[in-house]
Amino acid sequence: MSDAAPSPADIRVTDVARSFGDVHAVRSITFEARPGEVTGLVGPNGSGKTTLLLMLATLLVPDRGEIRVGGLDPVTRPAEVRRLLGWMPDVLGSWPNLTVRRSLELTARLYDLPRPAAAARAAELISLVDLGELADRPTRVLSRGQKQRLSLARALVHDPRVLLLDEPASGLDPGARVALRVLLRRLAAEGRTILVSSHVLSELDELADRAVFLEAGSTVSEERVAAARSTERGWRIRALDATALRRALVAAGVDEARIASDPQGLVVPIAGEADAAGLLASLVTAGVEVVSFAPAVGDLEHTFLDLSADGEGAR
Amino acid sequence: MNGLARMWTVASLELRQRVRGAAWYVLLGVFVLLVLVVTVFTTIATRNTDAPGAVLYSLIVYFVLLLGTLVTPALSGNAINGDRENGTLATTQVTLVTTPQLVIGKFLAAWITALGFLAAALPFLLFALVLGGASADTAFVSILVLAAELGVVAAVGVGVSGLIRRPLFSVVTTYLVVALLSIGSLIAFGLGGMVAQREVTVSYEIIDWEASGDEIDPDTGMPVDPVCETVVSSYSVPRFDSVWWTLAANPYVLLADAAPTHFDRHGNPDDLFGTLKLGVRQAQLPPDVDSGWSECDQAYPVDDQPTPREVIDSTVPSWAVGLGIHAALGLGLLAGAISRTRAPARRLAAGSRIA
Repeated sequence: MSDAAPSPADIRVTDVARSFGDVHAVRSITFEARPGEVTGLVGPNGSGKTTLLLMLATLLVPDRGEIRVGGLDPVTRPAEVRRLLGWMPDVLGSWPNLTVRRSLELTARLYDLPRPAAAARAAELISLVDLGELADRPTRVLSRGQKQRLSLARALVHDPRVLLLDEPASGLDPGARVALRVLLRRLAAEGRTILVSSHVLSELDELADRAVFLEAGSTVSEERVAAARSTERGWRIRALDATALRRALVAAGVDEARIASDPQGLVVPIAGEADAAGLLASLVTAGVEVVSFAPAVGDLEHTFLDLSADGEGAR
Repeated sequence: MNGLARMWTVASLELRQRVRGAAWYVLLGVFVLLVLVVTVFTTIATRNTDAPGAVLYSLIVYFVLLLGTLVTPALSGNAINGDRENGTLATTQVTLVTTPQLVIGKFLAAWITALGFLAAALPFLLFALVLGGASADTAFVSILVLAAELGVVAAVGVGVSGLIRRPLFSVVTTYLVVALLSIGSLIAFGLGGMVAQREVTVSYEIIDWEASGDEIDPDTGMPVDPVCETVVSSYSVPRFDSVWWTLAANPYVLLADAAPTHFDRHGNPDDLFGTLKLGVRQAQLPPDVDSGWSECDQAYPVDDQPTPREVIDSTVPSWAVGLGIHAALGLGLLAGAISRTRAPARRLAAGSRIA
């Protein structure tokens, strides 16, 4: 990894816009992604995630604004950017008549790897994404999740410094998701810059170091994100004795009408982590045997939902 | 160097992915069977002629041209937009392969596929050469031109597939281009000749035998005192000599025109190429319009039809022009495809997804 890169951020996007005719897919996106981190790209459908990734992947020219990948402009120096960039699209295309191994070998050849090195790299990636049993089957027999893993392997063929992953977890079974998370954390720890867009927010919660929120083609300001984070949210509390817990909650001043119950415990609205800590302390003091005390929805999901509710309200 | 390697990688990808498959081999098998049938029947039919091999050779070459131009559009006409639909174009474009390398690689694959038909016909062509009568120069030139023509169809297919978004439309468009060149030029030639037809008035004298008296000159068998009558008749002739050039870009005519012609002992062309070439070259000559004659003066037009060799030697070869047009068409479409496929893209056609 080139630590001597002039810019600390490998991806730098400044006020980028792109429209298709009268559809403004991206209005104004500004963010940075740094080496060694996984940056999450969060936003509802149509918020411009894929268009942004296409511009980063040297496939689309932005109408306005500036993009730098490894300090280089993808529009004027696409060849150099492609060398350090791995892109996994949201559309799962594969050459249906080629085997998994051959697909990866030929992709490696397109990155100028000599033939033996391409074969070795293909074998390495096949075991990395756990497609060993299917290595010599044509890719048309792959399931969605398997294609997803092939697509990831293809993005890694040339050992890129920057990784752009568009919905990498969709279609994966839980085991493969855990494997993906471990792999991406390892790749980030090696000093790579990883940008992941996903709808599976709980997944991103565990994976991403930072998140960039998009809404209607624009980045959501830090203040709004901070505000959304601190709004009231549900916390799930479980105790050995549910009745005692409910009694203690009411005693601690929680409005009984707002206590919801679900199979895993009681869900209580709490605004901010300080209030949560206070409530937990008072429950323990009251002698309730608390087993679990955690936000009912993940951090990202909460922020995302709150932002979209906010957006709806603003409209 | 890397550029060539990438181009070849794209071509081999294309060959493995798009072309090679059970259906392709079945098609090739059917083709070989057809050529075999043609070979057997032609050999039987021409066993008593001077140059049976020459006829067979030209027939097989035409057959390969026909089949090649019929199959290649289906295989090359969705080379680029088909990948776009499958979602494999963008993932190829983010590699180090440049757009020209990508498009030319696909063109090479399509061409190689079309040349597969030529390769499959090779044993039969060799048989025709062994049969005798076919000339080495004709054989060589016709194969070269055939290969070039298959390349043109491959280039048109790949080029159109880069310019039109929908694979079905681009395949159909490629077929229409092939049909325009092969059949459209013929129709243009026929209609053009008819439209450009000219009224010709011919006057000729005949003897009015009733009025000429009964005295016959025993030496000539004519009346001693002939009464002559002048008849004027007018009719129209098509002027193919003003539209012959429409056939220059016809692949079949082009092939015939390019191949050197050899003549049998009667002075006639000894193969299909020569026959077609003679016909097309004759169209360049203006029709013989002022052939009046007179029975009274015993003045008949001298029938000095030029021999086939004279016709061919005195007229203009047009194959180079046709080949030039074809090359410009193929290269132009490929260049258009390259500029439309270039990434990063500035403009996208309405409703298209680039990934």
